[in-house]
Amino acid sequence: MTAEPLRTSDGTALRVETQPSLPGLGGLYARGAAASGRIAAGRALPALPVIGAGRSASDTEHDGGPLTLPDVAYRVAGVTTTGLARHLHEYQRLLHEPVADVLPAGYLHVLAFPLATAVMVRGDFPLPLLGMVHLRNAVELRGPVRMGDVLEVRAWAENLRPHRRGVQVDLVAEIRRDGAGPEERAVWRGVSTYLAKGFSLPDAPAVDDESRPEWHLPLPTGRWALGPGTGRAYGAVSGDRNPIHLSALSAKAFGFPRAIAHGMYTAARALADVGHQRGDAYRWTVEFGKPVLLPGTVDLAVTQEEDGFAYVGWNGRRRQKHFSGTVTPL
Amino acid sequence: MATRQKTSAPAAGGTAAQPQGVRDAVIVGGNRIPFSRAGKRYADASNQEMFTAALEGLVARFGLQGERLGEVVGGAVLKHSRDFNLIRESVLGSSLSPATPAFDLQQACATGLEATINIANKIRLGQIESGVAGGSDTVSDAPIAVSEGLRRALLEAQHAKTWQARAKALAAIRPGDLKPLVPATDEPRTGLSMGEHQAVTTARWGIAREAQDEVALASHQHLAAAWESGFFDDLVTPFRGVTRDDNLRADTSLEKLASLKPVFGRSLETTPTMTAGNSTPLTDGASTVLLGSREWAESHDLPVLARFVDAETAAVDFVHGHEGLLMAPVHAVPRLLARTGLTLDDIDFFEIHEAFASTVLTTLAAWEDPDYCRDELGLDGAFGTVDRAKINVNGSSLAAGHPFAATGGRIVATAAKLVAQRAAETGRPARALISVCAAGGLGATAVVESV
Repeated sequence: MTAEPLRTSDGTALRVETQPSLPGLGGLYARGAAASGRIAAGRALPALPVIGAGRSASDTEHDGGPLTLPDVAYRVAGVTTTGLARHLHEYQRLLHEPVADVLPAGYLHVLAFPLATAVMVRGDFPLPLLGMVHLRNAVELRGPVRMGDVLEVRAWAENLRPHRRGVQVDLVAEIRRDGAGPEERAVWRGVSTYLAKGFSLPDAPAVDDESRPEWHLPLPTGRWALGPGTGRAYGAVSGDRNPIHLSALSAKAFGFPRAIAHGMYTAARALADVGHQRGDAYRWTVEFGKPVLLPGTVDLAVTQEEDGFAYVGWNGRRRQKHFSGTVTPL
Repeated sequence: MATRQKTSAPAAGGTAAQPQGVRDAVIVGGNRIPFSRAGKRYADASNQEMFTAALEGLVARFGLQGERLGEVVGGAVLKHSRDFNLIRESVLGSSLSPATPAFDLQQACATGLEATINIANKIRLGQIESGVAGGSDTVSDAPIAVSEGLRRALLEAQHAKTWQARAKALAAIRPGDLKPLVPATDEPRTGLSMGEHQAVTTARWGIAREAQDEVALASHQHLAAAWESGFFDDLVTPFRGVTRDDNLRADTSLEKLASLKPVFGRSLETTPTMTAGNSTPLTDGASTVLLGSREWAESHDLPVLARFVDAETAAVDFVHGHEGLLMAPVHAVPRLLARTGLTLDDIDFFEIHEAFASTVLTTLAAWEDPDYCRDELGLDGAFGTVDRAKINVNGSSLAAGHPFAATGGRIVATAAKLVAQRAAETGRPARALISVCAAGGLGATAVVESV
């Protein structure tokens, strides 16, 4: 089944392929919170069981050739949220969100991103999933999504462009209220930018090294003491069981000295820290720096700016910035 | 016991008779046990044992055996759930009349002062004739909780209807869940300990290390002198062989204090200044204060030290650093003095709880800053300068220690006795201002005046 055509932000038309369900979500309903880990197969896994054959990092047939993104958007309609209470509340407790029946923007990311992952594991997706680096994320939540709402999720990849260390690509996921007209804006939209190191684009202009201005440590407004199980806990709730987050041993295999916290865990905790002042509709961005090694301590400063909040997380002893971003009420 | 409440059944069609209007609540005296550093002499003493000891000492001092008091109010910050009626159980364990009502109250480090405010207000309203306020805290005998994972599994198993469901719930327990949770003094909303919060405030106000060490030294010297002069002889009852606050270092010096390594603010860009010497140590202890109406004190042939004039609490927005965690009293005091028609110059004694030496100094700095006072306190300019010679003249928490809920009672009794002594010396009324900061961005302040 195909729905109406859809265009990327630069106007490229995409075929819309409707999938029967969100990857792994069926299992979630059947088995409750215990199965929540399977909401996504995890971006480190080579294939999603639900979505046909995937490809792994070892597929290198694109090496050297021009890189093009699949001209397809995945769509899942009729996503019911009625049975999610336990999973939602588990997420909210883990992220220090108030426990309520409104789905925070970070939870909607957890819900929608597996569909984007499904796009990334397609046979014609030009970059290897394993080893991709999450550079930044930008989310817009235009109104409250409540438990019980029926949703439609879409996801695609766009905007393949050079980066000084490789190529970067945006994975876009959108959530609409089911049955919303084609003109109606998505109630939630997330753009996740990933870097594939070592790839290059033909005809791409050289990218300058971003000059990094000297950074002064702000005065902290908070501190997170993150235990060794932080990655496993968020992995269980989000389904993102990338081995780099799970244990020191599995992280070492990918070149990290210890397990690292999920970037989206840190961004979602910062979002939670802003609190109710963010309102029901907000824009939430994050830019990732040095990974947070687990166990570890993150110093955090959330500051009120003219139009919203800015936040930054860092390691006070090493004076390294882990992430920074904004939460802006809309 | 005198009864002043003249309530009668409402006349048909009329309104109920009110208790008599606002009258004075007076402080008769206080009693506490010596404060002791955590993990030492009181290591196995529970909150109830300590509070009962302090209360029983008060009863003995003022001959209240068998007396039915109007109310006993107090609390503990670190409290086990079995102590849901900590104060009532302590009353039942004392020689007060078992017909003395009691309840628990908790406002972090302001618990003792808030309890005093509560008792004073009930007396002023004519609801009670007498009451005891106080508090107790032990870090040594602190309740330990099980981890969230174990707690949830145990609750689920308890709620399970079949053995299979019970087994399933218990199977969810992971080895990591067996690690107990020791109570922390971290602010729940920020994850920063109180010391780290104050380190941020200290950095914002640029308070120097030397100035903090001087406050700490003065606290020890003043408290030592007060003990030497016998000031505490009728305010303290020995407990478990301890006869003096054992955190007191009469022989400390600026050199010794200067040699200590900073413990808070070490990951800030500014040089850390807060040490174990200029921060309060974790302490165990309990305190009580006896209040009553003038008539009650008179009819019981009891002395009156001071009148509890008025009180003001405040809270600040500290979560995103707009204001320092321990700065709420800075906001409360100008409001309190405005309402009581007093200025800083009318105050003879400033009892500013030394959560940290820098808490005292950031409080003073804030009141001297015209921009801050305009923008944050809504004043026309600087609130004013406090004569340093009037601050904590008999020492405070840096020297005595700070068993959270017990500090308010210590300060109220000290302040009441100070103003009574001063008035006796000079023949003029004397006043003390009490300021206690508390976790959660809270603060409680009060004025007591000689009678």
